[in-house]
Amino acid sequence: MNRLWIDERYCKGCLICVDICPEKALKASEGINAKGFILPAEADMTRCKACGLCELMCPDFAIAIGE
Amino acid sequence: MIKKKYPKAVNKVSWASCLLKPGRHYLQGNEACIEGALVAGCRVYAGYPITPATEAMEAASRRFPEVGGRFIQMEDEIGSACVLIGASWGGAKALTVTSSPGFSLMQEAISIAIISETPMVIIDIQRPGPGQGYITASQEDVMQARWGHHGEGPIIALAPSSVQEMFEVTIEAFNLSERWRTPVLVMAEETVAHMRESVVIPPLEAIEIINRKKPQDLGISPEAYCPWGHAVVAPMANWGEGYNVNFVGLVHLEDGNVTRYSPEMNRHCIERLQKKIEVDANSTGCLETKFLEDCSHLMVCYGVVSRTAMEAVAEARESRGLKIGYIRLRRLWPFPEKQLRDIVCDVDTVFVPEMNLGMMKHPITEALRDRCRRIVSIPSIGVLHSPDYILSEVYKDI
Amino acid sequence: MLKYLKAEGLMGSRLPTILCPGCGGGQVLNYTLQAVDRLIAKDDIRKEDFLFISGVGCSSRITSHYLNFDSAWTIHGRALAVATGALLANPAFRVIVFTGDGDLAAIGGNHFIHACRRNINVTILCMNNGLYGMTGGQLAPTTEKGVVTTTTPYGNPEKSFDLCKLSETAGAPYVARWTTAHPRQIVRSVMKGIRKKGTAFIEVLSQCPVHKKMSPVAMLKMLKENTIPIGNQSQSGEGKIPVGEFLDIEMPEWNDSYENIVKAARKEDCGLHE
Repeated sequence: MNRLWIDERYCKGCLICVDICPEKALKASEGINAKGFILPAEADMTRCKACGLCELMCPDFAIAIGE
Repeated sequence: MIKKKYPKAVNKVSWASCLLKPGRHYLQGNEACIEGALVAGCRVYAGYPITPATEAMEAASRRFPEVGGRFIQMEDEIGSACVLIGASWGGAKALTVTSSPGFSLMQEAISIAIISETPMVIIDIQRPGPGQGYITASQEDVMQARWGHHGEGPIIALAPSSVQEMFEVTIEAFNLSERWRTPVLVMAEETVAHMRESVVIPPLEAIEIINRKKPQDLGISPEAYCPWGHAVVAPMANWGEGYNVNFVGLVHLEDGNVTRYSPEMNRHCIERLQKKIEVDANSTGCLETKFLEDCSHLMVCYGVVSRTAMEAVAEARESRGLKIGYIRLRRLWPFPEKQLRDIVCDVDTVFVPEMNLGMMKHPITEALRDRCRRIVSIPSIGVLHSPDYILSEVYKDI
Repeated sequence: MLKYLKAEGLMGSRLPTILCPGCGGGQVLNYTLQAVDRLIAKDDIRKEDFLFISGVGCSSRITSHYLNFDSAWTIHGRALAVATGALLANPAFRVIVFTGDGDLAAIGGNHFIHACRRNINVTILCMNNGLYGMTGGQLAPTTEKGVVTTTTPYGNPEKSFDLCKLSETAGAPYVARWTTAHPRQIVRSVMKGIRKKGTAFIEVLSQCPVHKKMSPVAMLKMLKENTIPIGNQSQSGEGKIPVGEFLDIEMPEWNDSYENIVKAARKEDCGLHE
């Protein structure tokens, strides 16, 4: 199963990845982080097909999908 | 080993038969500066036609391709100055020749060239202003040369006085720009640009050519490289050499980081540039002097005016026995204040003939105020002083 | 793609970028680096030959000091003039120009049309968000008529440019328009542009969530819905902006003419040698 990696140094919580995922494998997390951003979180990673769209469309190079 | 795909002879000084042979040549001032640039290794020219500099551009359009260089007529002077920045960082020595209105347009580019420490040469064939002014001679841009660009930032400006010097001073300008990693201005006048005189070109082996220092020569790796660090004059890696150089115009730290803004960083960045030019580059000689041993009066001049000033000085000494000395500023900026003060002891009057209403008179006054009784401006607008005119002003209150 | 960015410098960190959350500029950077990565692998282009040049503005900021490439963050509107100079010194550079609608079409308009006319070897990525983002949301030459901005509080009285038509008329051989919601198309266009000898103009309609006061996700949806790919017969194009590759032709590249001049000039004896 693929796992979600978020680089908290760079993620600005725009949530484009959550919206763009064709399989709806991601969701917005519950709270905000120290910078005040709502980070993406795993919703159901069994659906993730590693299409790479979230990595491609992230404006901040803050997301990766891997083993 | 990086394989270069550069076109032949760009970046290399070509001693091929395309350069003028050593010996005597009869050239126009505008042509002479182009020949000097080619000898210095300049291989990129960008410009825009403007009277009275157009002949230089036309000469460049013929000569640069002959030595394997590149010529482009840009859509405006702003574009021309920006081409110089791109070409310099791309590895070539670059030149433009313009006149006063075009010089005004180039100020923003000069400003970013100063902070990015970009070697390049701009020749300003001065004409009267302001506005369209006219197309005869003037020295009305000499203050703009130092203060025309926005922001604190020193610059080097040279003043040729003959067609021979249009050739020599252009080479010197390139050498200074490469040595000190700065834009260098050559402040000529329409007179000297349009004159035709004999130019003696020495054997090319006898001409010193200076090129920018490279981090590769100092063994600095791309990972350790700071584009504005390592020395007073930072070694300059060009684009395409694997150094991943980020050219920036914001005030920056030596490694090019612009995120860490603070007034201290800002001041450090500016003072570094200031010291490099106003202190270190200012320490080299640039004055031509004559008759200083016993002088009671002094003529301080620059550019083509110094030729008629010299005649006036010689005439006054011979016919009236007036002990008047002569100092020519070969370099206007950084202003050689210390050098002037070192050689001038105590005189009655300092005369400053200029083709403006009195501009260099101000730093001269600052430098020599306590070394003389008074400083007298001899202005001439739109036309070169004649020796008689200078003499009539000199004799007025004597 | 982080290998292509300078996260850390010798004197401190440089990332994250100063761009706002969800800014289209960051996405265009991502798409471009993807294209560059593929070209380095497929076409055997050297990383050292890439040169990124920008002017001033949010779009231009992505070139500032983040890139692990040779780059130039120059003066407002003059990126193409600097690119012209770099190519004169070394025609081997693969130049990518990041610019915005104001930087390119307002203050940079003259250099834009002449670069296209000359057909210099650059790939221009114009991130068009219809306003001046960095300075707070003012009018741009691409702002639609009637739109309220901080300098048109009564609505914009002026028409806007069609940058693609402008580029085509000026003479660029490759002209395309996409939005940030068309990632794979942009990657393909950038690869085409870099491979093409000549000026490749790629306009990317891009979101400015802060000044448009919409979420990035909502703006991406809006960009997708308000545009229609050319040649798409299935939906009505009424009121929608066409996107796609408008022009893709071969034309002699500018530097080749200069090479020929130098070859011809060096053969002649111009008579100044004696």
